[in-house]
Amino acid sequence: MAVIRGTKPTRAVLIALRRRIKVAQSGHSLLKMKRDGLMIEFFEVLNRARTIRQELVQDFLKSEQRLNMAMAVEGSVAIKSVAFALQKEPSVDLSSRNIMGVVVPKISAEAVHKKMYERGYGIIGTSAAVDEAADAYESLVDKIITAAEVETSLIKLVDDIEKTKRRVNGLEFKVIPDIKDTIRFIGFALEEMDRDNVVRLKKLKSKAVKRAKAEEAAKAAEAAAAQA
Amino acid sequence: MPVLRLPKFGKPVKYAYITGRVRAMKTKLIPNEMYGRMLGMDISDIARYLEETQYKEEIDLLAKDYSGAELIEHATFANLAKTYRKLLDVSIDEPQFLMLEYLRRWDVWNIKTVLRGKFYGASDAEIMKYVVPAGELGTEFLEGVAKKDSVNEVISAFDGTDFAEALAKYDGKSLASVENALDKLYYFRMERAVGGTLSVGGGLLLKYVKREIDVKNLVTLFRMNKAGIEAALIQENLIEGGKLSEDLNRMAGQPYADFVRSLEGYPFWSAISDIATSSDEDGVSRIESRLKAYLVRYAWALSNYHPLSILPVLGYIVSKETEVSNIRKVVRGKEAGLSNELIEEQMVVA
Repeated sequence: MAVIRGTKPTRAVLIALRRRIKVAQSGHSLLKMKRDGLMIEFFEVLNRARTIRQELVQDFLKSEQRLNMAMAVEGSVAIKSVAFALQKEPSVDLSSRNIMGVVVPKISAEAVHKKMYERGYGIIGTSAAVDEAADAYESLVDKIITAAEVETSLIKLVDDIEKTKRRVNGLEFKVIPDIKDTIRFIGFALEEMDRDNVVRLKKLKSKAVKRAKAEEAAKAAEAAAAQA
Repeated sequence: MPVLRLPKFGKPVKYAYITGRVRAMKTKLIPNEMYGRMLGMDISDIARYLEETQYKEEIDLLAKDYSGAELIEHATFANLAKTYRKLLDVSIDEPQFLMLEYLRRWDVWNIKTVLRGKFYGASDAEIMKYVVPAGELGTEFLEGVAKKDSVNEVISAFDGTDFAEALAKYDGKSLASVENALDKLYYFRMERAVGGTLSVGGGLLLKYVKREIDVKNLVTLFRMNKAGIEAALIQENLIEGGKLSEDLNRMAGQPYADFVRSLEGYPFWSAISDIATSSDEDGVSRIESRLKAYLVRYAWALSNYHPLSILPVLGYIVSKETEVSNIRKVVRGKEAGLSNELIEEQMVVA
């Protein structure tokens, strides 16, 4: 039995603990529901993250191959020169959204995927290999941004599931049993105190009766002596 | 387009000396069978082999700054520039003029590189790494231009030259329009210059230039039609002066499948038909490689028509560029782990 340390076995404490256990029990059931909800959300996000990760790896390999091909066909000198012409760097906008109380990031990017004439280089003097490499890398950046959003959500969800699980377990295996034990302890203590009081009263009563009897006997003895 | 000040040369034009020099220089080109052997070597072995050829000096010179594929690429470009400048130095009159007009493509390349570098904010040293002074503009001039502080200052450095009008198209936001204008100017000049020659071979060279314009336009059509870009925008990116200019202009903005179908029957169709009709994702770059190879082979075929004309010189210039390109494809392909079949497909060998 684990009684909450420093608890005074009084009726007021007992009433307060009974109130507390009700709050703890409803909190426990709410947190359990949250944990289950987060788990469902987690598996959905996990599936998306898995798919995006696979696509990301594929896109990366494809981009690498296309860049290598462009480097082979056009030369790194030409590719580097074209890369200098980059017109507008993509900007990333970061906001947040709420999944069952967990704040996860929402990342959106602008000007990642451009049309070929918006990239800043002239069409006539460049080649299709450059377009294909640029196109593949733009798709890769898009995918990286999506993967960053999904994977950060996943990490935050895992973190929160872990936290919620600890709270549920804490309530289930520590807080609620401790309160129950303490209530039981206070109950026993109060019963004991009641019994003590009864015994004490009985003793006092028997003492009073004895004293009354002695006084009566003394009075009777005095009266007998006076008659004699 | 600007009014060009092109010189006139009378007859007879002496080509015997320059074609003799070119014949001698041609013997120094890497033999075709070596490419197959290079595919079996690793990059250090290829560098060692190139040290036994005309590339030795450049490899030794650049070995302190670069290594591996980077060293070979920079060394071959440096050798290309040196070779072309040597050709210009040993020629006079019409051959020199025509070669210079042809090699101005490197001036256009260098101007674009400097502009891009300045636009990006790269240092002058970084910009100069990617400059190939194989045209009229020498290293010193380009270094001076690369040291300018801004794109506008670079543009001002070309005031009074034929490039000025094209460079004036810079809008402060993007270099695309300037780059296209420079490329268009190059072909405009080339066509006018070749069209003005009276010597034998001039007509065939003009035919080659027109075919090159057609190939460039065709590649642009493949790229832009596949991306679904509207006709007017595509037509802005087409170069005037090709033999098939009117036909190709009409094809701008067509749905890709219709566009490919409309190419059947043209001389280059047999070179690209298998890839053009397949659903290959990287089809356009493969088509471009085939068309470039087709153009190189056309130049080689022309070079045998008149032994004492500009055509053998053109054949050599194209061969030298192809050699540099083939070496680069082998080393870059090997570095990237591409298969030998894929590398071979990209190479152009006679």
